[in-house]
Amino acid sequence: MSGHLSEERLADVLDGGGGPEAREHAATCRACGARLEAARAALALVLQTEVPEPPALYWEALRRNVGRRIDEEGRRRANRSRLLVFATAAAVVLGVSIGRAPEEPAPAPALPAWSALPPADEDSGLAGLSVLAAETDLAAWNAGRGLGAFVAELSEEESQTLVEALRTDPAGVEL
Amino acid sequence: MGMSSTAARALPVALATGEPATEPARPAADADLEAVEASRRGEREAFDRLVVRYQRDVYRLCFRYVNDHADANDLTQEAFLRAWRAIGGFRGQSRFSTWLYRIAVNACLNHRAARRPPALELPEALPDPAVPASEAVVDEERARRVRDAVSRLPEKQRATLILKVYHDLTHREVAEALGSTVGTVKANLFHALGNLRRLVAEGGE
Repeated sequence: MSGHLSEERLADVLDGGGGPEAREHAATCRACGARLEAARAALALVLQTEVPEPPALYWEALRRNVGRRIDEEGRRRANRSRLLVFATAAAVVLGVSIGRAPEEPAPAPALPAWSALPPADEDSGLAGLSVLAAETDLAAWNAGRGLGAFVAELSEEESQTLVEALRTDPAGVEL
Repeated sequence: MGMSSTAARALPVALATGEPATEPARPAADADLEAVEASRRGEREAFDRLVVRYQRDVYRLCFRYVNDHADANDLTQEAFLRAWRAIGGFRGQSRFSTWLYRIAVNACLNHRAARRPPALELPEALPDPAVPASEAVVDEERARRVRDAVSRLPEKQRATLILKVYHDLTHREVAEALGSTVGTVKANLFHALGNLRRLVAEGGE
């Protein structure tokens, strides 16, 4: 055999294998023989070394702890599954709600037949009020003191504007 | 306890005697498969039997890897928890023990946990009364040095040494467990033994 034995071959010899040629080489080659002996000595040390034995009660505690952790994990999984079902249901409901076509706006409540007021879209008075609102400080109105107090506090000029607005339709046509 | 007589264990046949390895009898294999099948059906009691059967082996594997009781305890629990999660995927292509050791080794390889405070360290076991006190101290000191040295080996060498020497796996089984080749396992084992000898010698100086 040319050269020395590789670690693989030495490991085979150490393991009782490696074939007659490798074993013979290890027996006659000083370098390979020394490496093999060093490995055997280390192996003997390793084999004689045990792990410190825990107290006898430890094993029962270990078994119980493993069981407890498995049970806890089972419960967590069950909870996650329930949560997933709930979340899926919620997502479906939400998706259906979002996906629905927007509803038609609710029709304006019809005025009772006896009402003296015209329908909102035909009431030029409302348009006049909107003009007035744009030109008038509505702080007093907003303060909630009522229509009477609001009108009473209007200046002469503001009163006139109100009257003219009530007489004029949105298109500026005098009624 | 270390090298006391009570710690004697069956040595791997081939490594201890130099005889070619033979397939050892595996009476537990059938019982394992039965328990594994039941565990796959979700029977916790069956898995409990596997825990009882293998908790010592898994704990010792982990202890040899991390050289610390608290960490070995955590890793042992973690290994069994992972085994429970994955048992549905165990197809019986290897022994259950080999599959379980692979899980434990992976847990050890991933181990990054901070060491526990010294108060949680396992107290040294009582000396064996059959062994003279002075010898027991020397033995324990030497065992401690070897355990320290094993825990300082490079990870793959450490895992190879532990599985091959202490858990009697074949080269092929170690290769499967570590996702390696038989050739690499053999080389790693030989390097591990060489490094171990040096580390023990350094530790004794």
